[in-house]
Amino acid sequence: MTEPSSEPPPIADGLEHRLDPRVIPLQRITGGLTVAAFALASLGVLAIVLTVGDDIPTAVRRLLPVAWLVLVATASVVAYRWPSHHYPYTSYLVDEHGIEIRKGVYWRAVINVPRSRVQHIDVSQGPLDRRYGLGTLVLYTAGTDHARVALDGLEHGLALGIREHLLPSGADDAV
Amino acid sequence: MRSEQRLHPATLLFDMAGHVKRFAVPGLLVLVGASRSSAGPWGIPSGWEPWLLVMLVPAVLATVARYLSFRIRYDEREMVIRSGLVFRNERHVPYTRIQNVDASQNLFHRFFHVVEVRVETAGGEKEEARLSVLAQAAFDDMKRHVLQARAPLAVESVAEPATSEERGTEGTPAGETLVHLPLRELLLCGLLENKGMVLIGAASGVIWESGLGNSVMGRVMGDSESVGRSFVRALISWFVDGGPLPLARIGFGLAALLVFLVVVRIVSMVWAFVRLYDFRLTRIGDDLRTEYGLFTRVTATVPIRRVQTVTVAAGPLHRWLKRATVRVETAGGVGTQQAGASVREWLAPLIHQDAVAGLVAQVVPGVALESLDWQPVHPRAFRRAIKPKLIGIVLISLVAAIVIGRGATGLALLMLPWAVFTTRQFVAHLGWAESDEVVAMRSGWIWQRLTLARVNKIQAVALRESPFDRRAAMARVRVDTAGASEFTRIDIPYLDGEVARQLSGRLSAQAASTSFRW
Repeated sequence: MTEPSSEPPPIADGLEHRLDPRVIPLQRITGGLTVAAFALASLGVLAIVLTVGDDIPTAVRRLLPVAWLVLVATASVVAYRWPSHHYPYTSYLVDEHGIEIRKGVYWRAVINVPRSRVQHIDVSQGPLDRRYGLGTLVLYTAGTDHARVALDGLEHGLALGIREHLLPSGADDAV
Repeated sequence: MRSEQRLHPATLLFDMAGHVKRFAVPGLLVLVGASRSSAGPWGIPSGWEPWLLVMLVPAVLATVARYLSFRIRYDEREMVIRSGLVFRNERHVPYTRIQNVDASQNLFHRFFHVVEVRVETAGGEKEEARLSVLAQAAFDDMKRHVLQARAPLAVESVAEPATSEERGTEGTPAGETLVHLPLRELLLCGLLENKGMVLIGAASGVIWESGLGNSVMGRVMGDSESVGRSFVRALISWFVDGGPLPLARIGFGLAALLVFLVVVRIVSMVWAFVRLYDFRLTRIGDDLRTEYGLFTRVTATVPIRRVQTVTVAAGPLHRWLKRATVRVETAGGVGTQQAGASVREWLAPLIHQDAVAGLVAQVVPGVALESLDWQPVHPRAFRRAIKPKLIGIVLISLVAAIVIGRGATGLALLMLPWAVFTTRQFVAHLGWAESDEVVAMRSGWIWQRLTLARVNKIQAVALRESPFDRRAAMARVRVDTAGASEFTRIDIPYLDGEVARQLSGRLSAQAASTSFRW
């Protein structure tokens, strides 16, 4: 379907990779939908407050819609800008030992999960993910804080490939 | 071997007792409440007791059904538990996945020679199976099956002779006693642990609920509320307009506080005596077994190789008396905060400092605590750590300045040296160490702790950098293990960025090269 997935590069190349660039429009859409839902809901509340609350001072009455507009506008800008801003800060690296995931723009984390510690793996796909051919890779370990490590925005085929690579191959890990 | 076993018939009795108990508490509350609210004969139409019995009927049926349908079978590799009459359930628990087998026996259980058994695997919050109640002989049988199935596995590990010895002594606790608490240590443990507050809290809740509290308080303090209020008023008037300081009352209050604290400690000692009576930690082959309890006798077995982390903690009194506590985390029953589950993980509620290293060496083979090479955190860690406190002090002083005026500067002057001192101590006591086998962290100034995690138990390694960390070129390394809690986590802050990167790289590579075994 897409060029990068049709060629068979080794998955455990030990190089840092970024997510699939299509994750940016996808996150913009989800962000936009969230903002729209929030805007509609708050608009409803605002309308009710303005019609019911007769004793609200006029200054506040005029200010409230403006505040709403500013909030929604800011949220929209953030929803549009954030995915591309945040994109370069997420990456992953798969080698024969396991996977390393980098996340976070301000509070950064590098999470290392050895291959032998992976309990099971989910690759999930929402309706929007399917449209863009993306998927989410979720690693489960027996740990506590990182019992669930998710990496969303991978090309679906690639996510499946990483899953195959990370899953324990032999029966020796059974216990 | 393939024959199925039932629970002990006494199950019926204990289950029923449980139901009655559940009804008894609300029943009693209703009784007490009613007797309080109206002087008449309880204010409820007579003959309501039979209705309670009607409510018990489904419970009785459920109990009987559970008893009749419950079967346990020991297959070659797994334990099969069948239950349910209508909705049948068959649960297979492989022996090799069992993390620990706990048994508890209260006075009534002992009378019937039965035990309540909890079988835990690593998954989930709840135990895998709760067998209530099993005959003592059946429990021994179960332990035998679980141990036997494990034995071929244990051969892989170093302790080959221990395994054969374990098979020879089957069931009989003839292992090596690692920790035993005599009476004196028990009382000391209660004194240091100071759990009395929890008990008193619970008790006062009950007393309050039942309405006894008011009358008692009234009798002790005269009219309690007005005393309290006038005391507070007197204090405020002394503070604000320089009225006479209510010295007598302060003295009385302090004395009462002192008495209260002493009582709390005594309650705590009694509680420790009851709960941990005859605490004994034995090593039987590759298993650690703890036994304790005066009325409810608890037996817990943790295989040594299932130990995830070991934590040695000591408060100021502990150190003064040269004592420490040692506990381990296992993967089983994550998140259960029941008394039983948390106590099980105590290797030693109280142990002499000199014995700690020996105990740790038993539990984490091949690790000598004293030979660990402790590394300090970053030299500029103090500067980092003090900043949030300074900001806090400035904010508090500002608020105080607005509320009470100039006096606030004094407040700030008082808080400042204290903050500097405590932060210095805190940073000085932070440290980490690493060897081929373990990674360790120590922290705490007043309440010190030291946590060891075996490298082959590391689940994930995370390197974290906050914006402040990045500005100072620092990072923190968090080592994730199964069953880690806030108290026993290895999370090393204020590391030099490069050191942190290397450490996390080494740890994850080491972890990757060992295969994790439950």
